[in-house]
Amino acid sequence: MLSTLAHRALERDGLADIRDKVLEGGRLGEDDALRLFEVKDLAAVGALANHVREQRHGDLTFYNRNVHLNPTNVCVASCKFCSFARPDDRHASEGYTMSLDQAVEHVVSKRPLGITEVHIVSGLHPDLPWSYYVETIRRIRQAWPELHVKAYTAVELHFFAEKFGKTHEEVLRELVEAGLTTIPGGGAEIFAPRVRRKICDDKATADEWLSVHRTAHRLGIRSNATMLYGTIETLAERVDHMARLRALQDETRGFQVFIPLAFHPEHNMMGKAFPKPTGYDGLRTYAVARLFLDNFDHVKAYWISLGERLAQTSLSFGVDDVDGTVLEERIYHMAGAKTPQALSEAQLHRLIRFAGRVPAERDSLYRVLKVHALPAPPERPAAARLPVSA
Amino acid sequence: MAKLRAAAVSFLNARPLITGLAGSERIELVLAEPSACASMLERGEVDLALLPVGALAGKDFEIVPGIAIGADGPVQTVVLCGEEPPARWDEVYLDTASRTSVVLSKVILSEMGLSPRFTPLPAAEGVPLAKGQKGALVIGDRAFDVKSRVVIDLGREWTSLTKLPMIFALWAGRPGALAPEDVAELTRAAQHGLGIRSEIALAFAKEKGGDPEKYRRYLTQRIRYGLGPYELTGVETFLAKAAQKGFLPPTKLRFADDVVRTRRIRRQVSLDNALQKAADGVRLDADEAEALDEKAPLLELGLAADLRRRALHPDGVVTYIVSRNVNYTNVCTTACHFCAFYRPRGHGESYVLTREQLAAKIEETISLGGIELLLQGGLHPDLGVEWYEDLFRWVKANYPTINLHALSPEEIWHIARTSQLTLDDTISRLVASGLDSIPGGGAEVLDDEVRRRIAPLKCSTDEWLTMMKAAHRKGLKSTATLMFGVGEEPRHRVNHFLRLRELQDETRGFTAFICWTFQPEHTRLEPGDNSAHAYLRTNALARLVLDNVPNFQASWVTMGGGVAQASLHMGCNDFGSVMIEENVVSAAGTTFQMDSEEVERHIRDAGFTPMRRNMRYEHVGAAA
Repeated sequence: MLSTLAHRALERDGLADIRDKVLEGGRLGEDDALRLFEVKDLAAVGALANHVREQRHGDLTFYNRNVHLNPTNVCVASCKFCSFARPDDRHASEGYTMSLDQAVEHVVSKRPLGITEVHIVSGLHPDLPWSYYVETIRRIRQAWPELHVKAYTAVELHFFAEKFGKTHEEVLRELVEAGLTTIPGGGAEIFAPRVRRKICDDKATADEWLSVHRTAHRLGIRSNATMLYGTIETLAERVDHMARLRALQDETRGFQVFIPLAFHPEHNMMGKAFPKPTGYDGLRTYAVARLFLDNFDHVKAYWISLGERLAQTSLSFGVDDVDGTVLEERIYHMAGAKTPQALSEAQLHRLIRFAGRVPAERDSLYRVLKVHALPAPPERPAAARLPVSA
Repeated sequence: MAKLRAAAVSFLNARPLITGLAGSERIELVLAEPSACASMLERGEVDLALLPVGALAGKDFEIVPGIAIGADGPVQTVVLCGEEPPARWDEVYLDTASRTSVVLSKVILSEMGLSPRFTPLPAAEGVPLAKGQKGALVIGDRAFDVKSRVVIDLGREWTSLTKLPMIFALWAGRPGALAPEDVAELTRAAQHGLGIRSEIALAFAKEKGGDPEKYRRYLTQRIRYGLGPYELTGVETFLAKAAQKGFLPPTKLRFADDVVRTRRIRRQVSLDNALQKAADGVRLDADEAEALDEKAPLLELGLAADLRRRALHPDGVVTYIVSRNVNYTNVCTTACHFCAFYRPRGHGESYVLTREQLAAKIEETISLGGIELLLQGGLHPDLGVEWYEDLFRWVKANYPTINLHALSPEEIWHIARTSQLTLDDTISRLVASGLDSIPGGGAEVLDDEVRRRIAPLKCSTDEWLTMMKAAHRKGLKSTATLMFGVGEEPRHRVNHFLRLRELQDETRGFTAFICWTFQPEHTRLEPGDNSAHAYLRTNALARLVLDNVPNFQASWVTMGGGVAQASLHMGCNDFGSVMIEENVVSAAGTTFQMDSEEVERHIRDAGFTPMRRNMRYEHVGAAA
């Protein structure tokens, strides 16, 4: 139940109509979302988003145990916000391309760690053959059949289709046959053509991105959706982005989770002109997303980008998923992320529990594997410690 | 109830720890030499002992946290003596009164590449024989009177060898023998004794002859009584070196738990009522505050605190100051378990800033628009009131526009003690030489159950408040702080708020409140809930309970800009200072940085108007 204090605050802010829509299960319009973005009352908007979050999931907070694989950072696209891509894989430009063996080994070597998912995202490499992408998945699944493969953003899938003369459907069917199970949400950036022209002119358009996901959903492949915020987009363009996702979701019900991603300014072409969006901007974006995207089950905070403190705080602002243990993240760290490159499961539990929530390990399809209702033992660093028994 | 039997030495350096046990209802004292203290504990004749550190070896005795007898550098009362340099010695007489120093002698001589024959002999017999190729170990008060041509101070040798303090003795008990109340009693006795070291020195001089001033300096400047991270590393290093050389069996340190659990009976509180009351500015009582601390969801506390912030600061302005945090020394004797900043005096990384270094820092601060110097440091045993007076006069003479926001209560207390002045006189002299206002640091958690566990040698809650009251009475304004997340319970935090509120009712001297969480990296203290979520909840609750403190600072230094922005929507109206320099928190791993532009971007982005302020929270001009 929404508290008296929350009612008071929302009424004071002139948001009573939005509150009523939310409480009655109605749908917010784009103008409503824009008002929620602009009102600058984080606690009130947060309380409303938290209300929806708790109605859907109670205190459950989802995470998975995953490993990232970025087989190459060589990319023909020239997205201005990216610090990861390199034009080629010569040594001097810090470009790299893993051999098929290396890529498979990178993943399979993690087998003893109890991981359930590999997340594969790459650059758009000009020379790698189609078989490289198919065989990466096939060989990982051969070596580790129960591992869930979440692979290739819509931007990559569209690139494959164009480069290898296939339809989106053919690309997807061949990858599914090799073992792909879901599609990550990356590459969406901001759908508005004005923004895309300026920050990522030479990769899949919004329609192409949406078309890949529509096709995937039709083939029974679930997928995720992202939004890159904090570059040159207006708040209205953020709302437009979410509206287009909501419309496709009405059509297909194939999206599992919405993941707002903060722009990171270091080591890329935009960093000098645009600072990193503040934590406030992140928190209100999660809250508005939770309220506006009424047909998305989950809203995820990617702790790699936010840091542990903000990720934990977001759990009171509409977020119910904190991503995973994320072994060996590269993309955000090349853009200056100061966060650790992995969190242990115990650290994730601590983060979730201290936010008053209950950790629930999920698989890639958001099926709950285990609810950790009992406190995990506190982390004890190896160094000698004084006893504290509180 | 039967009293515990405790064995201890009667040496001068032990007196501050044992004097306060006279008349104890829990602990009965048995006086003996160090080696006898050890053997009585080993034989079970006593329950605990002021135990030579060497006697821990291979045993499972439990150490009382926080208190020890040690030195970081020269100790004066543990010496090797002779008429020739040690390289000529073929035999060393080892004082039979000693346990640890015997091993220390062997370790030090072995590190020098020497291996003379060791022969146990009482010091009274050994010292006269220490001639030619013979040396002798002397420990305890007898060492004050050693007149040999060659005197090697083993404290000095150890510290120059390892850069660590040497701990000679500590309280330790049979496994399971010490109840939390006993640990509390030992700590209370230590606090009492450390506060009357001058009197102890005087009494000792009357009893044994000698110069009371020499004894006082020995007790206040030579011996260190803390047992924090560096001291424990010293203990571990000593035992490890001795084990490695085969002088002692290997040892793993164990500790006696000291958490006292007492609960007051609390009446039922309706959370919703308490939140409504608080949001409307009605004063909360202890039961209500504690219930909110335990159970209220973050955003409920946040919404209520935001209403209070709107009532107190309706203009939507968020202030900040351009100030520089300068730590004039990292030498400190309190050895707090949560601190990664302090170094013992003899440590290679210890420092006291020079005038040149200070001048450079102040000039850089002024060039960045800075108007304030936040000057804090460790409790340096050698710095008396004159040092501070000179420093402040120098700052004011050279940089008259700079506000001197300096010296936490603990430091002023320390200056009063080392200079043998009353608090009032100390404050008056500091104010006369330029002190403008004081920071509220060192409050940690103002509840002695917690303080005793995390910082046994810090001033007590009452002392901290007494000091603050005295400062406020002299017209000084201060901030109030809370450092939490050290495993304390809601009632401890609530006690903290209530004690601050009570003093504020009386003096109105607090300009602002700021809280932050314990940062555990490089310390030995296990954190409790020190998360961002806990920070935001605690900060909001503090805004509700501290109804008489006008301003609340967001702690972006520990929490990062985003969480600090969230706190602006849950009670805070100030963004603290830009960061030109910070050492204490960053020693424990936190590295957030912001300049004026970045501070203002965060304030504006969160929906507020940035404004620069001074220490009195008066606006001093628009944004940069």
